[in-house]
Amino acid sequence: MYGWIWRHLPGNTGVRALISLVLVLAIVYILFQYVFPWAEPLLPFNDVTVDNGMAVNR
Amino acid sequence: MSGPRTVNGRPGTTAQSEAGYDAVARNDGDGPRRPSPTRGRIAATVAVIGELLITAGVLMALFVVYSLWWTNVLADREAKRQGNHVRDNWAKGGPSGPGALDTKDGIGFLHVPSMKNGEVLVKSGTGSDILNEGVAGFYRDPVKAAMPWDKQGNFTLAAHRDGHGAKFHNIDKIKTGDAVVFETRDTWYVYKVYSQLTQTSKYNVDVLDQVPKESGKTQPGRYITLTTCTPVYTSDYRYIVWAELQREEKVDNKRTPPVELRK
Repeated sequence: MYGWIWRHLPGNTGVRALISLVLVLAIVYILFQYVFPWAEPLLPFNDVTVDNGMAVNR
Repeated sequence: MSGPRTVNGRPGTTAQSEAGYDAVARNDGDGPRRPSPTRGRIAATVAVIGELLITAGVLMALFVVYSLWWTNVLADREAKRQGNHVRDNWAKGGPSGPGALDTKDGIGFLHVPSMKNGEVLVKSGTGSDILNEGVAGFYRDPVKAAMPWDKQGNFTLAAHRDGHGAKFHNIDKIKTGDAVVFETRDTWYVYKVYSQLTQTSKYNVDVLDQVPKESGKTQPGRYITLTTCTPVYTSDYRYIVWAELQREEKVDNKRTPPVELRK
């Protein structure tokens, strides 16, 4: 999978390494900016209030 | 044959074993290494599965970094901005007297010296949209909090234990007798911790009662209740700290903090 991507990147090793780095950074940015904020409320790690199990605490 | 068996000198092979032998041993010859199509496909599949598993591991590690570090960076920045906004409004004077309370921007700051986390802005509501700003929220639901200036009642607060500012991360460092101070524009409310509940059900809304019986109180008074999740990094249970008002101090024009905050 990653080997396939590497082979399909243009340029010599240096250019490929640079493009790879940019791709990785772009993916991390998308994860931190969009994916994780979306996923976090769906995961049961960070509920801090007491409630009666029905109310959405707003 | 007395010597060791060699690839080419294998004696007495049947047709069946010859076929198997060919498939396995084709690469053992002198020519360049050339995997059979079947083996190549299996190896490629295994490689892709391995890479997917590594990717999943890296994703989870990144999520931990996000939860425990990046949300703190964002929330602290936001809380500082909002806190400065509130203090600016206080400094400007603005309308005073009853009804001057601005619940949208935050009603004041919580200081708990034993948590060693400075001041925590307190806003209205305990939804994740509020708490994720790195502030503490007072309950509006399921039990409405009383305000510190009310004649009696329970001022109930919630904040994150980890991530999003983690304002109540050190709640387990609070001991009986410690000071909890709430600062509004005009008044310091000095509370003293008298009871903790280190683990309770997340459905235990009784801890928010105006007279919190679980803390041992039976008479109405002026209480403050801090709630957050426990154990750290999970939300299985809730951690509760109760304190009772000791005295009020007028804020002077230098905003000199009460003696409990001057250590």
